[in-house]
Amino acid sequence: MIHMKIRDAACRGCRFCVDICPTDALSFDEATQKAVVETVEDCIGCLSCGFICPSGAIRHEGHHVVKNFYRNLYFSRRMEKFL
Amino acid sequence: MEELHAIRKRRRSLQEVMNFMAALSAGIEPILGRGANSMTMSAGRKLGRQFSENAVKTDDLLTAIGEVRKVLEDNHCLWGFEPFKPKAQDALVTLNHKGEQQMYIVYRDCMIRQSLFRFGHPQKGSLCIMMTGFFDGALENIMGKKAKLDILHAGENGCLKLLTVAA
Repeated sequence: MIHMKIRDAACRGCRFCVDICPTDALSFDEATQKAVVETVEDCIGCLSCGFICPSGAIRHEGHHVVKNFYRNLYFSRRMEKFL
Repeated sequence: MEELHAIRKRRRSLQEVMNFMAALSAGIEPILGRGANSMTMSAGRKLGRQFSENAVKTDDLLTAIGEVRKVLEDNHCLWGFEPFKPKAQDALVTLNHKGEQQMYIVYRDCMIRQSLFRFGHPQKGSLCIMMTGFFDGALENIMGKKAKLDILHAGENGCLKLLTVAA
């Protein structure tokens, strides 16, 4: 079960998270001019909202973490010349 | 210790192959433009059909999805995906205005995310299209109907896709 939390004090009301959420799990509260979690059940854990938030106000818990099967700086450097 | 060494060696080899694939993909996209997607889609579809040759045939979409998962696992592709039902929606599978079955699918892991994403490889590129092609090909073989998987959202930690199966 994914838990999502928006820190009210940090939210600037830019609506970036609301716009980027593919499942409309977030909405915008006009009264407080802040983003709120509308339906946490609809959160797919893509973390786009957390990444786009300029003030880092959104936190997720209990989401799936992608397994990068190989972590090695040597290969990271080698990839740079390709991409 | 030797076993760990062997695993690391295999991982290095696989990463090298993925590097090559990414380089190929990054190379063809500027030249072929949207044609690159058609090419990789076709290749993925063909692969999906081949891999699912011995899969159990079914008309039921959810059973077919399970079969695709089995095909992927049998071929050591550990791409975690699951059907997704928005809270406001009554059922997992819905019908669109053309009578086609539709279902949302959330992808947690895939070959791009597992090996290339952290190197800055762009999402929704020709390799992603190849993966959707693989899924389409396998599902078409299992259900005997045209299937299409569209990428609705490519997120940092997961992708939302819409599967449409012809009536």
